[in-house]
Amino acid sequence: MLINFILNQKPVSVDAPADITLLTLLRDYFKLTGTKEACEVGECGACSVLLDGELVNSCLVAAPSVTGHEVTTIEGIHDEDGGPNDLQRNFIAKGAVQCGFCIPGMVIAGEALLAVKSQPSRLEIREALAGNLCRCTGYMQIVDAIETTANDRAHMRNHEEREKNSQ
Amino acid sequence: MTNLKYVGQPAQRVDALEKVMGKTKYVGDMSLPGMLYARTLRSEIPHGRIIKLDVSPALEVSGVIAVVTSDDFVNHGNFGFPISDMYMLAFEKVRYVGEGIASVAATTPEAALAGVKAIICEIEPLPAIFDMADALKPDAPQVGPTRTDGKHPNYIGHYPVYKGNPKEKFQDCDVVIEQKYETVMQEHAYLETEGGLAIPTPEGGVSVYLSCQSPFIPRNDLCKVLGLPADRVRVIVPPVGGSFGGKDDLNYQTAGQVAALALKAKRPVRMTFSREESIIASYKRGSMRMNIKLGADHDGTLKACEFRSLYDSGAYSSQSPFTSWRASIHAMGAYRYEDCSVDIDTVYTNTGYAGAYRGFGNTEVCSGIEQAIDEMADQLMMDPIDFRLKNCLKVGDVTPHGQLLSESVGLTDCLLAVRKMSDWDRKRKEFANQSPSAEKRRGIGVTALFHGTSLGAEGLDEATATIEIHSDNLVSITSGLTDYGTGARTVYTLIAAEILGINPDRIHVHNPDTNTAKDSGPTVASRTTILAGNSVRVAAQNLMQNLDWAAADYLKCDILLVHRVGEDYIGPSEEPVSWDIVVKHAREMGLVLSAFGRWSAPQIHWDEEKGTGTPYFAYHFGSQVAEVEVDLKTGHTDVINIWAVHDIGKVIFPQGAYGQLYGGISHGLGYGLYEDLDYQNGYAQSINFDTYLIPTSVDMPEIQAGFVEATFSQGPFGAKNVAEPAMVPTAPTILNAIANATGRRIRKLPANLERVMLGKELTKKGSPFSCKVALKIT
Repeated sequence: MLINFILNQKPVSVDAPADITLLTLLRDYFKLTGTKEACEVGECGACSVLLDGELVNSCLVAAPSVTGHEVTTIEGIHDEDGGPNDLQRNFIAKGAVQCGFCIPGMVIAGEALLAVKSQPSRLEIREALAGNLCRCTGYMQIVDAIETTANDRAHMRNHEEREKNSQ
Repeated sequence: MTNLKYVGQPAQRVDALEKVMGKTKYVGDMSLPGMLYARTLRSEIPHGRIIKLDVSPALEVSGVIAVVTSDDFVNHGNFGFPISDMYMLAFEKVRYVGEGIASVAATTPEAALAGVKAIICEIEPLPAIFDMADALKPDAPQVGPTRTDGKHPNYIGHYPVYKGNPKEKFQDCDVVIEQKYETVMQEHAYLETEGGLAIPTPEGGVSVYLSCQSPFIPRNDLCKVLGLPADRVRVIVPPVGGSFGGKDDLNYQTAGQVAALALKAKRPVRMTFSREESIIASYKRGSMRMNIKLGADHDGTLKACEFRSLYDSGAYSSQSPFTSWRASIHAMGAYRYEDCSVDIDTVYTNTGYAGAYRGFGNTEVCSGIEQAIDEMADQLMMDPIDFRLKNCLKVGDVTPHGQLLSESVGLTDCLLAVRKMSDWDRKRKEFANQSPSAEKRRGIGVTALFHGTSLGAEGLDEATATIEIHSDNLVSITSGLTDYGTGARTVYTLIAAEILGINPDRIHVHNPDTNTAKDSGPTVASRTTILAGNSVRVAAQNLMQNLDWAAADYLKCDILLVHRVGEDYIGPSEEPVSWDIVVKHAREMGLVLSAFGRWSAPQIHWDEEKGTGTPYFAYHFGSQVAEVEVDLKTGHTDVINIWAVHDIGKVIFPQGAYGQLYGGISHGLGYGLYEDLDYQNGYAQSINFDTYLIPTSVDMPEIQAGFVEATFSQGPFGAKNVAEPAMVPTAPTILNAIANATGRRIRKLPANLERVMLGKELTKKGSPFSCKVALKIT
């Protein structure tokens, strides 16, 4: 069947079977391999993507159900110049990355949290990541990266606010 | 060694950028035009004789291109080290549920599975052993290979340490305690499952991209089972999505299967495992039953230890002979004893199989001995930290193995540091005064550990690195040891940058590839920083010598008059000359701009019969404290805080070292509280993350970590190691904290809800159904 949706901000149309998951659609039909397959039962979060801005496990989403919706994968998360955005830079700076297999999902989960909660506590960050398993890091430096990004973005907003007020 | 510019300074991982962008290609992300997909028929019973295996119906299935069985390998695909008891695909018998029997390559994963289902495989069930205590009974079914020395075929080995006669010494001790402790199997749970991609080469050989730790082992195995010379087999390690000891033997079989299929089909063949297939087929941390007897005097002097245990290797020996040996060396803990004996026996059963897993035997024995040490402290009414401080190993001590510790023993400092950081003394007092009727009770517990660095007496211990300056003046390094997420490539980069005096951005470390790197032994035993790090140091120093000649020649002065400021070379004229100019001049002088560095570990020896010697050339030390809150109504244990201070020698890559500690502690927390890859009658009871629970971000506490840098004179810049020992003490630390909270001791891991609340296990009834279904689904 033909599936039309917005993928990483671009309209796409793909002919794919109706009985596959969004994860398979992304990996096999779009070759977007940043979205990882690790359990296929919705437990590990390695296949996390944003569906209309909300965090979902793409292994639990039927591919045709994204018709008309907006999907963002790790390949769609970057700065304007195509380089890493602030969250991704903080993952690097804080040592949040080891083997890296869970990391695309962690970045997506971090963005999903920061979109709805601008200044989460460390516990709130941990709760937001509870659906994303990491076996390497013990999560400490991942929490650090998200916390730092939240603070950086808050500073940025305050700064912009001040700039606007002073004009 | 003062004023280090890169070593020990803040740095970032060399491979992090690609990973955060989602661009890193793991083996399952790779595909080639015309590539085939492979799937393996796996045993659905724990023990049986293959009486019929007809693969011809699979070849009739549309899309199936090739099928391989043990007949397609030299000597039936026999391999394995130190005991060659495994096959690339089952030969004559299957010994565990999940064992590979035949592999199919097809144009789609669905066709490969249809091919697997079409194979006619008749297996006559054989009686099986599911309890390690039954393995050595005279009438036990034979699981292990037939042996000619008259010993039981299910017997793998005996691993002793002997000092004096503890049996006699116990009679002189004021206090003697004796207890049994038990550990269960643990799943590695690397996020990336097993996989390999084989590509037939024009000259009739094969290249394999393999998610593994030690590429030279499968390269050599493939040469043997495929009958190919070493120059026709190449194993390349792509980025590895976690391993923790787990991507060896099973994935060497994957390598054999995809390589044989690729040679037969003359097309690239990729195999990747589902999570269920991964958990069912893969080896685990083995289970151990321990009996520990300790003797001490009223003044708190520990005098004697007798440790006896049985270790279950399951269907294959894999790394268990080495795991058991490492377990024996660490079984008595990091303490002085007048008399000590350790006896570990290791056996075959049909309960999956056991192999390498972070900590490698020490994780198992530490959970026993560190509880026993606490129980002895309780008996003596001594504070557990005071008791450990009184008896722990220090510089100048002789270990129970007979080894003089002449340097780099930071254990006392680790214990003192965690005592202070955790506010131990105040909390011990406070928690002792909790109301006996309180449903939620706090507790705090401690452990001390030692962990031998590198292979020890397991085998030849050396590593080789190469370094080269290319025409664009970028520097590349090869090492035969793998960075499977640990940060090793960053460690090599920082060491080379420090020696060469250049910016780390100029340096690139290749992933291991048997065609370009030199065999440096296995990437195991937390040996990479010392072994590979030292070989990179030596290679960089060798390269540096040529640059020094060139600089002196360019500056027209004696080599001793040249010094460095930043990357620049400065001679008597004080005029800085850039590194690039010196490199260019070296080229013009005809000097080679590549070098080779080999480092061999100090000589050690072990007498396997007498149980004495020098098992390791250096030791890591550490201490952890955990604070818990136990809900006596539900049995739930909340780990509130963990403090960890480890002596890893000089810290080379701080961010990475902390990451290793935090990650190791998460494996240990899972091992202590809920991880139990339980097998019932040979069938794994958890086959995915919905039932096999590993710690999530909310299960992990905030961890306060620190390092004691008791430098090791022969380590690179004084470094030792961190990866394995980070997890070793965490489970017993939590168990000791639970005992402090509840007054009850849980001597069998894990301390799950029922053991904490009821003090016993719930009855389980295993069903083979889920395993059988999972091996035949897409």
